[in-house]
Amino acid sequence: MASSTVSSGTRRVRRQLPTSPWLFAAPGLLVAGAFILYPFVSTLVNSFTDRRTLVPGEFVGLANFRELLHDDMFWIGLRNSTLYVLGVVPALVLLPLLLAMLVQKTIPGITFFRSAFYTPVVASIVVVGLIWVWLLDERGLVNAVLETIGVGRIGFLSDQWLILLSAMAVTVWKGLGYYMIIYLAALANVPRELHEAAAVDGAGALRRFFTVTVPAVRSTMVLVAALASVAAFKVFSEVYLMAGPDGGPAGEDTTLVMLVQRTGTGLTGRVGYASAISVVVFVVTLVLMLLVLRADRKEES
Amino acid sequence: MPTSRRSLAVAAVAALVLPLSACGSGGGGGSSDASGKVEGDITFQTWNLRANFKPYFEDLIADFEEKYPGTHVKWIDQPAEGYADKISADAAGGTLADVVNVSPDLAAPLAQAGLALDLDKAAGQYKKEYLEAAWASQQVPGLDGTYAFPWYLNTGPLFYNKSLFEKAGLDAGEPPATYDELFDTALQLARKTDGEVATLANVPTIEDFGRYGVPLMNDEGTAFAFDDAKGVELLTRYKELYDAGGLDSQALTATPESSGKKFLTGAVAMNPGSALDLANFKKQAPGLYENIGITDQITSTGHVNMYVMGLLVNSRSERKPAAVAFARFVTDAAHQMSFAKQVAVFPSSAGSLDDAYFTEEDGTDETRVRVAAAKSLKTAVNYTPVLFSEQMKTELRNEVAKALQGKQSPEEALDNAVKACDRLLKQQG
Repeated sequence: MASSTVSSGTRRVRRQLPTSPWLFAAPGLLVAGAFILYPFVSTLVNSFTDRRTLVPGEFVGLANFRELLHDDMFWIGLRNSTLYVLGVVPALVLLPLLLAMLVQKTIPGITFFRSAFYTPVVASIVVVGLIWVWLLDERGLVNAVLETIGVGRIGFLSDQWLILLSAMAVTVWKGLGYYMIIYLAALANVPRELHEAAAVDGAGALRRFFTVTVPAVRSTMVLVAALASVAAFKVFSEVYLMAGPDGGPAGEDTTLVMLVQRTGTGLTGRVGYASAISVVVFVVTLVLMLLVLRADRKEES
Repeated sequence: MPTSRRSLAVAAVAALVLPLSACGSGGGGGSSDASGKVEGDITFQTWNLRANFKPYFEDLIADFEEKYPGTHVKWIDQPAEGYADKISADAAGGTLADVVNVSPDLAAPLAQAGLALDLDKAAGQYKKEYLEAAWASQQVPGLDGTYAFPWYLNTGPLFYNKSLFEKAGLDAGEPPATYDELFDTALQLARKTDGEVATLANVPTIEDFGRYGVPLMNDEGTAFAFDDAKGVELLTRYKELYDAGGLDSQALTATPESSGKKFLTGAVAMNPGSALDLANFKKQAPGLYENIGITDQITSTGHVNMYVMGLLVNSRSERKPAAVAFARFVTDAAHQMSFAKQVAVFPSSAGSLDDAYFTEEDGTDETRVRVAAAKSLKTAVNYTPVLFSEQMKTELRNEVAKALQGKQSPEEALDNAVKACDRLLKQQG
């Protein structure tokens, strides 16, 4: 490394322009400040007011949070967002790993499959969401097939639980490729000798998966679990598209973020109350992250 | 070094705090004085009109700028979806256009926040140029004054699929007109097709309650009242319909777009719409277009529902004289008439509906629909309560859904909806 040029360069800059590190960081800091820090602080402040879209509002203390406790819709939202995490995260930790092992092999034409599995990630969620809505419609392709094979029609988009399950399926389907790429990178680091040694010792494919592959990619699994659970708790688009703007029949499929959108937007939006819900979402995601990381640390020790 | 670091810190803090204070400012309306010279640059916000009527508005703006030299109108359009969000973002951010296309329920919160010019004070002399009912429809309960120039009116016909009617042994020439007839038709359609063909794709809206003859609010406009015996009766009948398959199975999660699509594919037999939909049917579902039937909205009161568009003048506009002059220019009798001829909507200017264009048939379907609609408009009512917000619509839809699913009785559902709407109404202040 050309350490001398680097250090002399640093010295020169320091002598002439002491604030230059700040200047370099300024664009990033300003963007982060304006679009992350400021909205965060303003949401926090708003959550203690009765602010509405067109009315500045006044400080009301914990009134918004007290109201949350008695708001049925809030509990429905909390339930659905939590169910979403429980339903989606295990699938998104396991399936992409299996998929990655499948496409890891270098056989002719495998690039095609890798790209194919990654396509849903690149596609717009609204577009694929609408395609799934058409597929799962009462008279859509899926129901036509089910009817032909004698199962009969299933109301994927009219039953509150089936709507939620359908939305989860779309989330998993769309996330597969993304986490597959992460796993592919991790799998490339698993020493081939380990597999060979295990094979020599007589371990079958299943045994090798649990004793060699899983321990080697365990930290990646934790990362995927953390990313997926935060994303799942904040789910909006899939459920909004499948369940409609009201959040399914009688709003039973509303998630917390949908509730924020519904309460806080429009000319009569209750910005203060919606901010209070956002704060709850923030706290829960923070706790989720900590739980996942903690579980990891415990297992390590 | 410390100085520059501190100055940077100060700059960063300022950058963070300034937008905060900007958001907090405002409150209290501008003056309602709009006299003065008509000049300067103004902005004009419309609702989903550019896609189809661009040349009309470009000519209109050019005419205005020619009539009042020194004015310049910047035209902004926003698609139908997300319009309320766009307006609220503008209003909250202080960038609301000078002249804004609104419906009365959008105008109400803006007027309550002091963002709409009171036209009784600023432009009262023009009141007689409009239909009395149209002018009154721009008033907000609880506030004195009128907050938008009446613009175009629309009733929106009800489309039905003649071949589906015939398949069920119904007379396609005699579509239902009242709710009782509608329920009979729907039950027969469901029975004859084994529940395959639903008649409607949507749950009842507040306008349905209005047209059924349910009082929506108390006389003072301070509380909702649609939970009376009549309202319960309507919801009970809808539940009957839902159970029999007369309502589409996905009605509880339907949107206007999704139900439009159901109608296009022949899954439902009737769907409300606008005259613009005819061209859409012709293009997307030629088979349906050949079998399309057009009738009036279902109503048991004898009055159809009327949608009223208005032009609101921003009370904080720096060019109030020009904004008022432009809003009146767009909504005067001559321009409303020429717009109505383009769009298949109806003018709110006094006397315009008596024009031969709206009273004489020439034998085509198009004029038949137009003449019928213009006739029904004369007695039409804007059933949407001005203070009925998006959040209230959601409350009503959710409670109605629970009743249709049988999770609660129609009485309980409507009681809960009224309670929730009253609570929201109080919060709006």
